[in-house]
Amino acid sequence: MRAAFEGSQAIARAVAMCRPEVIAAYPITPQTHIVEALARLVYDGELEAEIVSVESEFSAASVVLGAAAAGARAYTASASQGILLMAEVLYNIAGMRLPLVLTCANRAVSAPINIWNDHQDAMAVRDAGWIQLFCTDNQEAVDTTVQAFRITQRTEIPVMVCVDGFILTHLFEPIDLPSQEEVDRYLPPFTFARRLDPARPLTLGALVGPGHYTEVRAELAADLEAAKAEIVAADRDWADITGRFCGGLMRAQGPHSARLGILTLGSIYGTLQEAVATRPPPEPVRLMALRCLRPFPVEALREACRGLCDLIVLERAIAPGAGGILANEVRAALYGMPDAPRVHGAVCGLGGRDVPLEILPRLIELARAAEPVWSEIVDLQATPPVPMEGRVR
Amino acid sequence: MTGTQELRRRQPRFLGLEPGHRACQGCGQALAAALVTEAAGPDVILVNATGCLEVFTTPWPQSAWRLPWIHSLFENAAAVAAGVEAALKRQGRPSKVLAFAGDGGTFDIGFRSLSGMIERHHEVLFVCFDNEAYMNTGVQRSSSTPHAAATTTSPAGRKLPGKRHLKKDLLAIVTAHHLPYAATATVAYPGDLMAKVRRGMATEGPAFLLVYSPCPLGWVHDPRDMIAVARLAVETGIFPVVEFERGELVSVLPIREKKPVVEFLRLQGRFAHLLGDDPKALEEREHLQALADANIARFGLLARGEDERDTVSAARVRRGGRIR
Amino acid sequence: MTAKDPALPQRAATLPPGSSRAYHTGSWRQQRPVHRRRPAPCHHTCPAGEDPQFYIQKLQEHEPEAAFRSILEANPFPAVTGRICPHPCETACNRGRFDEPIAIHAIERHLGDLAIAGRWTAELPPLEEDGPTVAIVGAGPAGLSAAWQLRRRGLRAVLYDRHPLAGGLLRTAIPLYRLPRAVLERELERLFATGIEFRGRCRLGQEIFLDDLRRTHDAVILAIGLSRPRPWSVRGAVPGDLHYGLALLEEWIDVGAAPLQGRTVVVHGGGNTAVDVARLAVRAGARAVHLVTTRALPGDPSAIGPEDVMQAFPREIEQAREEGVIVHPHTTITRLIIRGARLRAVELAAVRALAGPDGRTRRVAFEGTEQILEADMVVPATGEIVDAEGLDRLPRAGDFLASDRWGRIPGEKLLYVAGDASGRGASVSAAIGDGARVAAAVLHDLHRGLAPSPSPEPPIAYEALNLHYFDHEPRREPAILPVPERLESDREIEQGLSASEIASEAGRCFSCGNCLACDNCWTFCPDLAVLKTAEVARDGSHYVFDYDFCKGCGVCAAECPCGFIEMVPEPPPRFAAG
Repeated sequence: MRAAFEGSQAIARAVAMCRPEVIAAYPITPQTHIVEALARLVYDGELEAEIVSVESEFSAASVVLGAAAAGARAYTASASQGILLMAEVLYNIAGMRLPLVLTCANRAVSAPINIWNDHQDAMAVRDAGWIQLFCTDNQEAVDTTVQAFRITQRTEIPVMVCVDGFILTHLFEPIDLPSQEEVDRYLPPFTFARRLDPARPLTLGALVGPGHYTEVRAELAADLEAAKAEIVAADRDWADITGRFCGGLMRAQGPHSARLGILTLGSIYGTLQEAVATRPPPEPVRLMALRCLRPFPVEALREACRGLCDLIVLERAIAPGAGGILANEVRAALYGMPDAPRVHGAVCGLGGRDVPLEILPRLIELARAAEPVWSEIVDLQATPPVPMEGRVR
Repeated sequence: MTGTQELRRRQPRFLGLEPGHRACQGCGQALAAALVTEAAGPDVILVNATGCLEVFTTPWPQSAWRLPWIHSLFENAAAVAAGVEAALKRQGRPSKVLAFAGDGGTFDIGFRSLSGMIERHHEVLFVCFDNEAYMNTGVQRSSSTPHAAATTTSPAGRKLPGKRHLKKDLLAIVTAHHLPYAATATVAYPGDLMAKVRRGMATEGPAFLLVYSPCPLGWVHDPRDMIAVARLAVETGIFPVVEFERGELVSVLPIREKKPVVEFLRLQGRFAHLLGDDPKALEEREHLQALADANIARFGLLARGEDERDTVSAARVRRGGRIR
Repeated sequence: MTAKDPALPQRAATLPPGSSRAYHTGSWRQQRPVHRRRPAPCHHTCPAGEDPQFYIQKLQEHEPEAAFRSILEANPFPAVTGRICPHPCETACNRGRFDEPIAIHAIERHLGDLAIAGRWTAELPPLEEDGPTVAIVGAGPAGLSAAWQLRRRGLRAVLYDRHPLAGGLLRTAIPLYRLPRAVLERELERLFATGIEFRGRCRLGQEIFLDDLRRTHDAVILAIGLSRPRPWSVRGAVPGDLHYGLALLEEWIDVGAAPLQGRTVVVHGGGNTAVDVARLAVRAGARAVHLVTTRALPGDPSAIGPEDVMQAFPREIEQAREEGVIVHPHTTITRLIIRGARLRAVELAAVRALAGPDGRTRRVAFEGTEQILEADMVVPATGEIVDAEGLDRLPRAGDFLASDRWGRIPGEKLLYVAGDASGRGASVSAAIGDGARVAAAVLHDLHRGLAPSPSPEPPIAYEALNLHYFDHEPRREPAILPVPERLESDREIEQGLSASEIASEAGRCFSCGNCLACDNCWTFCPDLAVLKTAEVARDGSHYVFDYDFCKGCGVCAAECPCGFIEMVPEPPPRFAAG
């Protein structure tokens, strides 16, 4: 059904159609509308689920951890401070190989406190062992959410669906919601082989020493690698049902002849598409968006960058003291690739700063630098002087 | 030895815990966990916080648990248990959820998720094995450590003699949630403890059990005195054995013969610095005695002649044992 | 589906249940618990060697016949001893330090009476064909006990007694209000039904002779008791119609009469005979009865030691006083005031036992304390000595026949002394125990038994018990006949306890030094290393230790109420070579 939805509402409906059994809800801007919508569905009797309004994000993650361990399909959403607070639990969930889906409504992290969009929160937990998928628009958010439930059940790796806070969550746009029948056809009933069950007692979460810890982590790493195929298959199978394909591991557009590429994450992709379409650049540009950040799609990226001389990585996060986070990962992925493009790191949109269409010429200019740009905040403004009256003595 | 294995198989009680666990000799928590799981029976799911119990029962590749069991983190036993309970409720599965944590995972770092679990009325029996310090990490003080006790982060120093703050009154805080059932118990009265576990199991809604579990290593007492120490804690009034329903006191285990606190202190090295003649030691002893007396007054712990059940009669044994 | 099967329970270090059993924590031990049976104080003190802890345990286990048979191993007449024994077991009973001792006496009596009513018997081996026979002179408690022990081993015993019937002083010198005749007869009946022979009216030196017995039997035990009164006078004077207490008592028990009607009687002596005589004097119609003894009443703090206390059983003294006997303790008779040949009065003086310079006590009558007591009869009951008629050439030891502690007479082979005649012990239970010990010596000397066992282990101390597991409970006391009813007839003065009172009383037993099967060790082991057995474990407990897992913490030993578990050092590990 195609209609105008606020992003959060659409995501909530997609979640509901996946028949979650336990939902943990804790409010944090800008994901709150998601859990509110789910609560409304439950309280109106439209969704048969346990919704647990926990007392912190830490408990939100812990509640869904417990629910999944007990063999129930579980879901929660968070952002920013909440993601950081539950970081310990996220590592724990992945380490225990529990199937879960979490929506991260990407938001900047404190300090300073800022409720608007950037990707610092997802970046902070990128090594927790979760699959991280980024959505460029709300249609993708809906489709990726449904696919996430299938991916996690099959791989026993938890999946974080990242959606730009406010920019997507609070955006009204036309979205094609799948039907319940389509979702039911696609998503099997939830099963978990290691579920807690008095009929078949198991011990989950034992103390593992140096003698075996490496092997457990190696298994997770290997299974994350192997999950790439599952992520692509999930997307294709969903496309077979709905006709919509999210690009598998990454999206790319632009002519083969392009020598300049711009790689980004999330909704900036849409901005760049708009810019290229309405103000055609002087030279052809290949636009790319990573859909899957974890596992990192090295092969797909290399393939997409073939023939490029310059690649700008445009991201909404920064590792103070080390430059752009995604830029550094891309550099590492392309290292050793024959004829690898020069990689330029560009940071923009931190703390929700608007990324205008004018960013495109700025980036094209950046790529002309004599040396590859390590990392530059391309929308940095001169700090306005503090008025005399406002200064602290 | 097959003979012993066969005998073990035929034991006339349900055990949730197997031997071979790595608890210290004379561990009160190990005993408490064995008694609790015996009383709880096989249709349970256990959620265990990080701590001694978790570590000594599940050193990979061995697990001492015969029940379905999950350990997540230090501070989230109550929250994970809430999640398990929500899942079981949704799926119509009748198994009971128990959360196990030490005093650290209950009074301190686990406090938040405990409060949330109770407030949301999850049907979970939360059992705190209280050994009055962070024992697993080597005896550091927690908010449950009694006043003046020595730990590694509150040592009996030249300037400050042991912990300077009172033991947190967690029972008051928990019962202030007006939950259906909360009680204290100890390993020295196993029949009482097991009866309270059964009550907790039968509670519709959250239930809380605080089990006083001596630690020979951290309290510095002879392992063989483990039960004697727990018994003295009750008989001095240091550890009241009580039951609350919806925030109201409904029963106590009266003390038949009150014992002076110093008898309790003498058995434990963590109080050794309080046994001297110096004024500081004397003052601390008096303080602890006053705290015990305050407990006795507050809960009405002294036995009156007509009490049918008190610290003496509750301990009675007879030929044939508790299970014939 | 991923390439790996997600149903594998090992993913993410998931573990199957109970796998810790593979790790034997017993290797941590530095000490291990062991079961160590210790004699309970009641068992240790019983002169006959009975084990009240054991038979009370059997009662608690609802096995009264097994309880009875346990008594029979040491003592063939529990219904008798359950009435007349002074029960040192109760004095020694550890429960006495907690609240009140167990009424072991009443329990023994109850079992004896049940056995009589139910006609219970013990299983005995058949008598040895053409085996040795043992002659026992004297069918009193010592002789009967020796005969019983010999019969238990299949040997033939023949009891000889000058009296027409067996029983010795059980029959002749114990008042019927204490030991009803029917009880004695039924227990003797049971005893003789096993094949022990009795020949009455056989007096040594008259109908039978020692040399003949030694020829016709393989061994001879002399269990002749002390049947002569110690000669008595006051500074050489005696009244004309002197009746010794023992003779009066025997006559009273035999025919129910004594020439005491209307007399004011002074009984001299402080033992059971003296007290029994005083009480019979009351029943025989004496106008007044006085008991004069140089010793103190039981419980008198001025007594300087046990040798300064009346030897009669305290409850007998108490009942005598209830019946009107006036006791004069720490008193002696200094003069008899005789007019013609008849006694008119006695002069009494205060006496104290003093420690002399050589450490021995001597009794001193204090001048100036004399008082006159009008009396027309004085009855001496100051002790008995052995009647050695027909035994002149055997060595003496004071008032007794000489023998070693196993009853062997020095310089003689296969000739023994047992019971009161030996001077070993001064009660019926002591006589029973002595008879059993002498029988063991006989069995050994006839090559039918092992050497008599060495001295027993010390009993378990009160401090070794953990009394936190018991609650105070009063002792059940039997009903005592009120005085008017006592004097009417010879009805038994002390009743027994009912079956439910017996059960409650048995329930108070601490089971000192032996497993109470209370489940404490099984409950309290933090390592689940104590296993409960449906049957009794080999060491007499109901539990076994699983040394694969026991860490040796000692909690079981500390919480055992009975002191039955001991921690012993763990032997050092043996390492295999190479």
